[in-house]
Amino acid sequence: MLRKTILAMFIALLAGFMLTACGTGEESNQENNDTNENTKADAGSGDDNSSKSADSSESEVRVIQHAMGETEVTGTPKRIVTLYQGATDAAIAMGVTPVGIVESWVEKPVYKYLRDDLDGVPIVGLETQPNLEEIAKLNPDLIIASKLRHEEIYDKLEQIAPTVTHETVYEFKETVELMGEAMNMEEKADEVLAAWDNRVADFKAKVQEKLGDKWPLNVALLNFRADHARIYFTSFAGIVLNDLGFERPENQQEDVWGIKLTSKESIPEMNADIFYIFMSDDEAVHQTYEEWTNHPLWKNLDAVQNDQVYLVDEVAWNMGGGILAANLMLDDIYDRLGLEK
Amino acid sequence: MKEYLSIRNKTGSISLQLQKKFLYVLFLLVLFSSFVIVLSLSVGSSLISPLEVIKYLFGYGSGEHDFTLYTLRMPRVFLGFLVGAALGVSGLILQGIIRNPLASPDIIGITGGASVGAIIFMIYFMGTFSLNWLPLAAITGAAIVSIFIYALSWKKGVTPIRLVLIGIGVAAAMNAIVTIMIVISETAVTTKAYLWLTGSLYGGNWEDVILMLPWMIMFIPLTLLFSRAVNANELGDEMATGLGVRVQWTRLSLLLISVALAGSAVAFAGGIGFVGLIAPHIARMMAGRMFGGLVFISALIGGSMVVLADVVARTAFLPLDIPAGVFTSGIGAPFFIYLLYRNRHNIR
Repeated sequence: MLRKTILAMFIALLAGFMLTACGTGEESNQENNDTNENTKADAGSGDDNSSKSADSSESEVRVIQHAMGETEVTGTPKRIVTLYQGATDAAIAMGVTPVGIVESWVEKPVYKYLRDDLDGVPIVGLETQPNLEEIAKLNPDLIIASKLRHEEIYDKLEQIAPTVTHETVYEFKETVELMGEAMNMEEKADEVLAAWDNRVADFKAKVQEKLGDKWPLNVALLNFRADHARIYFTSFAGIVLNDLGFERPENQQEDVWGIKLTSKESIPEMNADIFYIFMSDDEAVHQTYEEWTNHPLWKNLDAVQNDQVYLVDEVAWNMGGGILAANLMLDDIYDRLGLEK
Repeated sequence: MKEYLSIRNKTGSISLQLQKKFLYVLFLLVLFSSFVIVLSLSVGSSLISPLEVIKYLFGYGSGEHDFTLYTLRMPRVFLGFLVGAALGVSGLILQGIIRNPLASPDIIGITGGASVGAIIFMIYFMGTFSLNWLPLAAITGAAIVSIFIYALSWKKGVTPIRLVLIGIGVAAAMNAIVTIMIVISETAVTTKAYLWLTGSLYGGNWEDVILMLPWMIMFIPLTLLFSRAVNANELGDEMATGLGVRVQWTRLSLLLISVALAGSAVAFAGGIGFVGLIAPHIARMMAGRMFGGLVFISALIGGSMVVLADVVARTAFLPLDIPAGVFTSGIGAPFFIYLLYRNRHNIR
């Protein structure tokens, strides 16, 4: 028996060592990547230095109010880590390439629409559990996080670098404002938001002209899952649609995220003038979609009868959660309503 | 030559009987656990040599690893070990009093109750209250549901079989509540809830370790007081009564200890599964059936299992940091099967 115990121990030890070995292998790769990063960053910071000497406001300390309190940020941060999708998107919109980002929900590891801009930027883990050691290794001077996701690690993030948080992950305009403030780029943030407001105004004018009294349209934002369907009310896309002047049907105006429909008998609940539907590219999900849309009740819905049912990209409409995604959404809406951009 | 070693006080209220073999096994396991802890402190995104880690643990470390070791890795590893140890001992106690090898903290509603508590907190109170209150919500849920199960099982005393059947029923009901809660909650909360249900040591703090420690210090020695009663209980209720064991009282006390241990573990690490079931089995295969010794062995095995699972979770898919609960079965099951295979002649 004792011999067996020892043998068992030995095997466990061996497994342990193999694990370490694997870890080391990964490690050296990781380090190579890092060195590349560092050289890039160094080259970058060389430029920064020259601009620094020109700008005396660099060492100014600003106090940022945010979802988890107050944070002091010195000067203009250059090495920024973004810990939610909308923040990564907003950084790119403001012309800043983060030094670390979290893995995307779909189209892993980086959403296609951001891939060109984020080429070579290291991933620091999942949005729900970003790897703190990886973040620390990047030596950031500002971290953008979300209270919703990162409340429990906030004090650790603070020890790595000044960290500002947003309450949620999908309030794309507030994300831009917060980041503008924290990155000392308020003008750029205002510019990005003003451009958005202009586009919104342009859309409203054109849609009014085209649709006349039919505008504002009632819109329903539908999502199909493997075993149920959802109507989203106040999501990311909900905020965008609301900005654009779309209205929600009477039964969908509650101020909650939305509802889940588990039975096809609830199909009439979806009714609206226009449907935007997004879903993941998954066999089971397509199956649900087929089943629901072939149901007799589906054919009675206004949007279906007016042929106003649009399948849209889930990244732009839901997963992206940033100002660039919102702009992509708007492009999509222009196209589908046959409006000139 | 004596095969057993007895430790007892004069009145005999404390009495531990240990097999000699136990001491070897204990020694080896202490070594193994230390190895696992040092290993898990040295691997991560950056490798710190084990020697450096040992120096650091004894207070001779350089300041350069303060953040990685002291702030990030140490609380997480120690919390993992405590959680695993608590689950291991909790499972051992339950398997002892229920006399069923499939007993684990899940079946008497601890995990189910804690899940309901945690999810109610996440849906209705997150945002208003700090996340620091989540463990309290979880442990309250565990306590309420366990008391409920015990009360329902009471019929002039509680028999193991009633306890198991009612436990399974209530656990199923709790799962139903969890599912409903997840269905009505919004996506962001769902994400958090799933993470919690899987079980993760991510973000472990020193405060968590400090809050968890008293439970261990209090309840593990308390378990030892019952060691003789549990051994007698293995022979059946009648026999145990005949040997002078207050069967119902012992059962209730041990249940409470078990709930306290597993409840505190689940409160801090979420629904880490499998450890409470497997660790006592591994312990018994290594060190026989004497309850007193098994308490230590189960604790060490449970602790090592969770820490190892977390090492894999942290490092296997770098830079991703994955919930440890995904791997507890991944680590425990092969080892368990190996032991079953080695001991196939001894097990009917």
